[in-house]
Amino acid sequence: MHIAVMITVVLLPILGGILIPLLPFRSRREMLWYIEALVLINSILVTTMLLFQPQAAFVLFRFTGNLRVSFHLDGMGRVFAALAAALWPLAILYSFEYMENDPNEKSFFMFYVITYGITLGIAMADNILTMYFFFEMMSLVTLPLIMHTRTREAELASRSYLYYMIGGAAFAFIGMIFILSYGTTSAFVPGGVLDPDKTGGRTDMMLLMYVLCFLGFGVKTAVWPFSGWLPRAGVAPTPVTALLHAVAVVNTGAFATMRVTYYSFGTGLLRGTWAQNVVMALVIFTIVYGCSRALKETHIKRRLAWSTVSNLSYILFGVVLMSPLGLAGALCHMLFHSFMKIGSFFCAGAVMHETGRSYVHELDGMGRKMPIVFGIFTLCGMALMGVPGLAGFVSKWQLARAAADCGSPLAWVGVAALLVSALLTAIYMLTISVRAFFPGKDFDDTALPDAGDPGWKMLMPLVIFAAVILYFGLHSRPIVEFLNKVAAVMPTE
Amino acid sequence: MSNLWILFPVLVAWLAGVSLLIWSFAEHRALPGKRDGRKAPGGEQRPERTGQKAADILATGALLTAAGSALWAAWSGERSVTLFYLMEDIPICFQVDGIGRWFVSLVTAVWVPVGIYSTLYMRREGEEKRFSGFCLLLYGVLICLDFAGNLVTMYLFYEFMTLTSFPLVLHNGSREAIMAALKYLFYSLCGAYMGLFGIFCLHGFCGDLTFTPGGILSLSVIQGHERFLLAAVMLMLVGFGAKAGMFPLHAWLPTAHPVAPSPASAVLSGVIVKSGVLAVIRVVYYIVGPDFLRGTWVQYTWMALALTTIFMGSLLAFREPVLKKRLAYSTVSNLSYILLGLAVLSPAGFTGALLHAAFHAAAKCGLFLIAGVFLFRYGKTKVGELAGIGRKMPVTLWCYTIFSLSLIGIPPTGGFLSKWYLAQGALEAVPGPWGYGSAAMLLVSALLTAGYLLPVVTKGFFPGESGEEDRDRSLWGKEAGEAAEQRGMAAMLVPLLFLAALALAAGLFPDVLTEYADKIAAQVLG
Repeated sequence: MHIAVMITVVLLPILGGILIPLLPFRSRREMLWYIEALVLINSILVTTMLLFQPQAAFVLFRFTGNLRVSFHLDGMGRVFAALAAALWPLAILYSFEYMENDPNEKSFFMFYVITYGITLGIAMADNILTMYFFFEMMSLVTLPLIMHTRTREAELASRSYLYYMIGGAAFAFIGMIFILSYGTTSAFVPGGVLDPDKTGGRTDMMLLMYVLCFLGFGVKTAVWPFSGWLPRAGVAPTPVTALLHAVAVVNTGAFATMRVTYYSFGTGLLRGTWAQNVVMALVIFTIVYGCSRALKETHIKRRLAWSTVSNLSYILFGVVLMSPLGLAGALCHMLFHSFMKIGSFFCAGAVMHETGRSYVHELDGMGRKMPIVFGIFTLCGMALMGVPGLAGFVSKWQLARAAADCGSPLAWVGVAALLVSALLTAIYMLTISVRAFFPGKDFDDTALPDAGDPGWKMLMPLVIFAAVILYFGLHSRPIVEFLNKVAAVMPTE
Repeated sequence: MSNLWILFPVLVAWLAGVSLLIWSFAEHRALPGKRDGRKAPGGEQRPERTGQKAADILATGALLTAAGSALWAAWSGERSVTLFYLMEDIPICFQVDGIGRWFVSLVTAVWVPVGIYSTLYMRREGEEKRFSGFCLLLYGVLICLDFAGNLVTMYLFYEFMTLTSFPLVLHNGSREAIMAALKYLFYSLCGAYMGLFGIFCLHGFCGDLTFTPGGILSLSVIQGHERFLLAAVMLMLVGFGAKAGMFPLHAWLPTAHPVAPSPASAVLSGVIVKSGVLAVIRVVYYIVGPDFLRGTWVQYTWMALALTTIFMGSLLAFREPVLKKRLAYSTVSNLSYILLGLAVLSPAGFTGALLHAAFHAAAKCGLFLIAGVFLFRYGKTKVGELAGIGRKMPVTLWCYTIFSLSLIGIPPTGGFLSKWYLAQGALEAVPGPWGYGSAAMLLVSALLTAGYLLPVVTKGFFPGESGEEDRDRSLWGKEAGEAAEQRGMAAMLVPLLFLAALALAAGLFPDVLTEYADKIAAQVLG
């Protein structure tokens, strides 16, 4: 039973999602019950699976030789699967209220639920082929979600999304071919699979392949110069931007990068080479670049999207430090950033849903009307800045510690970039809070729209995220220890 | 377990602060659009908001309780308490030690008068509940900051201090105030992040970063990394120096302090900036250790920055016509006296720095409160408009005189003593031009200080020949006449008198303070 559950949690949301437009629901309410139950049951299954920790691999089917689609749950996969299982039911709950007046909500929910299964597929992929397969599916399934509003802007955004993703996949594909032909096995093995007999004398080429592969998977993580699609994709409904473009899709990119770096190419080959320096320089640049663009942006969702660009590169920074500590820091920031960013996006979405305002300068005084939403927004902002006592500080601390441990000058530049970005984050997040709560003395309260905090379906996820951010900020020891254990499977020299 | 009681004042202050904030917020929601009447001029009574009296009583009561228990916590023996672990090897812990005790007493001695003063003053500004709410929160944060037992705990409350004090700056809600508050916020955060970078660097070498007199950096561990660490320490000095208005990150101070309501300017200039000093003390004397820095380029750069700031601050203050701005520039300059005293890394300098921190707190706080009195009573902001004010408000102006003398450093006020120690420290510890230069700079700056503070006194008492009754009338309106100040302003005058008495007493009976400061200096430099 234990092994079969792995394929169940992948297929259940996919099939259940496809059924949404087909089933004859008598009312909206019935459909919502069906969706929430589906997602909840799946999350419960995932949780059970995480608790029992099936050790064996489940082979779905084989192409030829060692090319097969198979699942296996290891430490990193557990972290990612747990994240997905925690966020999806809450995001679905939020969408019920957010999408209530949307005529096309069925198709929205269909793709939204399918993505859940695909994310789990990536989390549990046992080898690079399986991961690549789900990675491609992810691009295709999320495309309709970006197109959802059918406006011209949405069309353009989805077109650019598609181009970026196909381009990225091409790079990743090249990398994959090299791993398959120069590796001993296609499976993920801590420390890498490259066969020294085959690669001997071709180190530089392998490094080049690594850089290509990194950029290919990095497209989903919006690493510069491939970051343009993410802010554009902000035209999608907020639950999509929040869960997919701040958490699931972009984290699959980060996750895939971790896999190829630590489990396929292997840090032994990469550490200290020009390839490491190149990708690290790109990542450090993205950290600052994303923040600076966020600062310039006045549309609140696009501002948050640029902030995501920057924060994803924090994760990648941990990855390219190429040490167990770096991996632990990256996983830590992946977890915490998900909660902070989905929280911020949901707050922004709540404002847009209740008042239709979406530009920063329209938010003056809104804190008076929506105190809980803006309170939580401020909390998320402070967490993103890295105020101690909130989750963001912990992950930044881990990353900085890993960088200090790495010791190379470029890593120290990275630490400086983290802090510069923290300052910029403070500027672009706190100006919003200040506007909302302190609109100035000539501000006319009566000009505010007649809106208040949203209903419980939107508030509950927000409150839970805030609680999680606080909890991990104050009590991070168990989770950090766990992540260190996960990362400790890497061989060190 | 009983050691947890040292956090009792914090709890009281935060509970009261949060409830006041919620109260103020709830009022806003209940009364949309009815916020007129807040700019009513001084004497006029504006319609009282519901329950303002109750809020005043709550705020003052909580403040007094917190202050009392904070003093008790500080002076009832050395204790420490570990709350929980923020990260694997980093606990959030508090300890009561000599330097923390000094700063807590200082904060409390300033905060109580300001709290009482503001109950009356804030009628003029409006939003009293929000103001006193943030004040109480800030007081709690400062106690935590002063009692912090390791660098990360201190950093945590350092950030909180910035976040809870910037609402005080933007209080009146004008565009200018909001921009000033944001400037303050971003400068402070910038400084804090530079400090954090240093913390990251030091963490690798020092382990858990617990404050220990004399430092915990062992020279054998850092072999080969000295240059790197020196650079990191320099970065921390500049970063934490931002809060203390040290060049090059000083520019926020003259913008932010004057636009805040006067009681807020008083605590900002009197106490909050001292937290930057405390942070520098903690880093240099309790983590890195003075021996590591002595004679290095870091020490000289630090001294150079402090000297530059002293001169620049005094000079800018001298040229500034707006009283509150002038006082803010004076803060810039005076804080660098303290930093200079710390930079010479000698016991006398350290003692001088501690003493000057205390004396400057009392004097500058008093001066800002007086600027507030002028503003509250007559709406005067510029120094030039204050001619003849001594006739109207003799008590206030006498207090002003005492504070000014203390800042200039004329006996029998405290300022003389601290400058004496500072000069002595500089001459002893840093032979050659640096020492002479520092002492000379102290003198020059003292002259400038006299130049920018005393004109208010001379013009105030001796407005010149045109000081006749009709000119009086044109200047001061209908209320010409003796001693207009007493009427209904006791809540503002008593705190002033209290602070003036402190400033005098410190100069007349200095032994208690100097002995205590010497003791701490011997501990960290012994």
